[in-house]
Amino acid sequence: MYEIRFHGRGGQGGRMAAEAYALAAFLEGNYAVSFPFFGAERRGAPVRAFTRVDKEKIRIKTQVYEPDYVVVLDETLIETEDVLEGLKENGMVIINTTKKPEEVRLSRPVRCATVDATSIALDVLGRAITNTAILGAIARATGEVGIESVEKAIIEKFGARLGEAAGKKNAEAARIAYEKTLIGTSQGGKAFVPKKRWLPDVNELPVGGAIGTLQTDAGLVGIGSFIENKTGDWRTFMPEIDKEKCIGCKICWFYCPEGCISMVDGKAIVDYDYCKGCGICANECPVKAIEMKREVRI
Amino acid sequence: MIQKIDAKKMVVTGDYAAAYGALLCDVDVVAAYPITPQTIIVEEFSTFVNDGITDAEFIMVESEHSAMSACIAAQAAGARTFTATSSQGLALMHEMLSIASALRLPIVMPVVNRTVAAPIGIWCEYNDTMPQRDSGWLQMSCEDNQEVLDMIIMAYKMGEHKDVLLPVMPALDAFILSHTVEPVDAPSSDEVLDFISHYKPHAILDPDNPMAIGTFTPPEYIQELRYQHHVAMNNARKVIKDVTKEFAQKFGRDYHGLIEAYKCDDAEVVLITMGTVTGTARDIVDEMRAKGKKVGLIKLRFYRPFPIEEIRKIAENVDAIGVYDRSISYGTGGPMFIETKNALYGMEKPVVNFLAGLGGRDVVKGDVEKMFEILLKAKEGEAKEEIYWINTRGVSI
Ligand code: SF4
Ligand code: SF4
Repeated sequence: MYEIRFHGRGGQGGRMAAEAYALAAFLEGNYAVSFPFFGAERRGAPVRAFTRVDKEKIRIKTQVYEPDYVVVLDETLIETEDVLEGLKENGMVIINTTKKPEEVRLSRPVRCATVDATSIALDVLGRAITNTAILGAIARATGEVGIESVEKAIIEKFGARLGEAAGKKNAEAARIAYEKTLIGTSQGGKAFVPKKRWLPDVNELPVGGAIGTLQTDAGLVGIGSFIENKTGDWRTFMPEIDKEKCIGCKICWFYCPEGCISMVDGKAIVDYDYCKGCGICANECPVKAIEMKREVRI
Repeated sequence: MIQKIDAKKMVVTGDYAAAYGALLCDVDVVAAYPITPQTIIVEEFSTFVNDGITDAEFIMVESEHSAMSACIAAQAAGARTFTATSSQGLALMHEMLSIASALRLPIVMPVVNRTVAAPIGIWCEYNDTMPQRDSGWLQMSCEDNQEVLDMIIMAYKMGEHKDVLLPVMPALDAFILSHTVEPVDAPSSDEVLDFISHYKPHAILDPDNPMAIGTFTPPEYIQELRYQHHVAMNNARKVIKDVTKEFAQKFGRDYHGLIEAYKCDDAEVVLITMGTVTGTARDIVDEMRAKGKKVGLIKLRFYRPFPIEEIRKIAENVDAIGVYDRSISYGTGGPMFIETKNALYGMEKPVVNFLAGLGGRDVVKGDVEKMFEILLKAKEGEAKEEIYWINTRGVSI
């Protein structure tokens, strides 16, 4: 049996990729299981999905802790978390990036495959949806499934949702990615501060779970703890407010679900530390003073 | 009626398997209200209706209470009905559950097991279905998505049997099944309809032949009705066994009745599990057996009726029995533990309870292994406690 962990951001289709991969493996006569990280998926937030493949029926129902392969759909994630966590010693990571494997820095040197799935998706699909292109890269890098099965699975799975033509286009993206995948070894040495979690025992946990604001080893907990959770890096699009056009009507301030717009000197300003880039403000602004621009991060 | 559907192999979620099972059974009426993680079931079914694969009546309602009310009315009018819910939704439905069963209406309702608040949790816990114990429904739990599909089909045949006539509640674990895709073999609609045969209601609300059901009833009658209901639940034991056997003959998948004994024959200790932990426990049993430890597993499928005889029979030949529970009756122990102790009354065997996976905490291989290790100690009379809280911070075991 082998296990794959997919890292993506909510809305990027990591779960669909994990399921389509399972279907590809199934089409080759394997037993395959796939599941998302059990939780609420929020657009832009880091999310995970998993696939297990075996020749025999898979009975185990736990989550995946020590994957054989790690797949990263969004390059920005390798900066903020150690994607190699739990990866088996001789495991492999497959990353959507413009870099060559040797240029990627991770927590340790590891077998690494890279592909510029974003450019391929933009070329072939006209959209930066990378969850099908990346499947071609997995087939190439791991050799666990054939590219033909990946294409078939994509046509079946995505075709059912988006129509046959779109299914075929997505299969084409996978094929191109398959051909362009580079395989090598990553650099190591990137240090991550392990994220601490607040795990009180039965005596420390307040009765009934009633929690005000609590300062813990793992940071703030309870009321107001969101201050430490900078959700700005969930954005793919950022709102830009044209001060000249803004008439100070406060409609954006009222509608922003994150409460991260404030009014200064009668004009709206955005707190980019927390803005998730949902675009509601731009949609609501009566004078079109807000434009959503694609965010470029290095 | 549904369109003819061919047999096929699919890779689908447990929720999809539930909806697909109802489709194959050619249900006439579906009334449901969405709640995570059950929503996909009704969504998928509404897609079948929208695509014209079935002309079932799909009723959108404003709550789970109304969903069950609508199913009761439709079933009483002679329709085969289906609904689904989870957690608070089931709690809200509670009042209507005992009406459905006491009117002897064989409605089928998968429930996706989810934590009942407070605090709010969307993950797997059995504190939604277990408290419905006395609602008079057949209650069971599935191990994988194949069993979900197969059980929906069998549920109609069991519930509609003339000696039973009771509603059936197959449960599936939140996310671990509901949102997980795995291979599922689906039979053709012809095979399924041939297997479950036509639904013959025991009574039909029909304007041409007026009839009253569930009306104001004085004490002279209710006690006998309760007895009938009790007998029907007892009858279900045989019907469950017959239906699973017939299913195995027709479709090649054997679920062994109310329980499945896994490597119990020469076992010194056995663990009773329910739901998806069973799959993980099978792997652990194999691993421990490879090391020479004589451990076995009882997969409890039915919670109501409870498999008293089956468990007693296995218990006779083992030295200790463990019961895994994903829900707690405060101050007493897990509901399955209580049932098991009741079933084993008079037998001098150590019975140990393991609470794990509450609130949806992952039950990992090490947790199950620990349960077996404690059981092997219990066999020697060395278990310190009767109830063990596995992997609970600050609680030593
Ligand atoms: S995009 Fe606009 S509405 Fe959305 S979080 Fe950012 S500021 Fe608020
Ligand atoms: S909605 Fe537009 S005009 Fe109104 S305050 Fe916001 S940015 Fe300014």
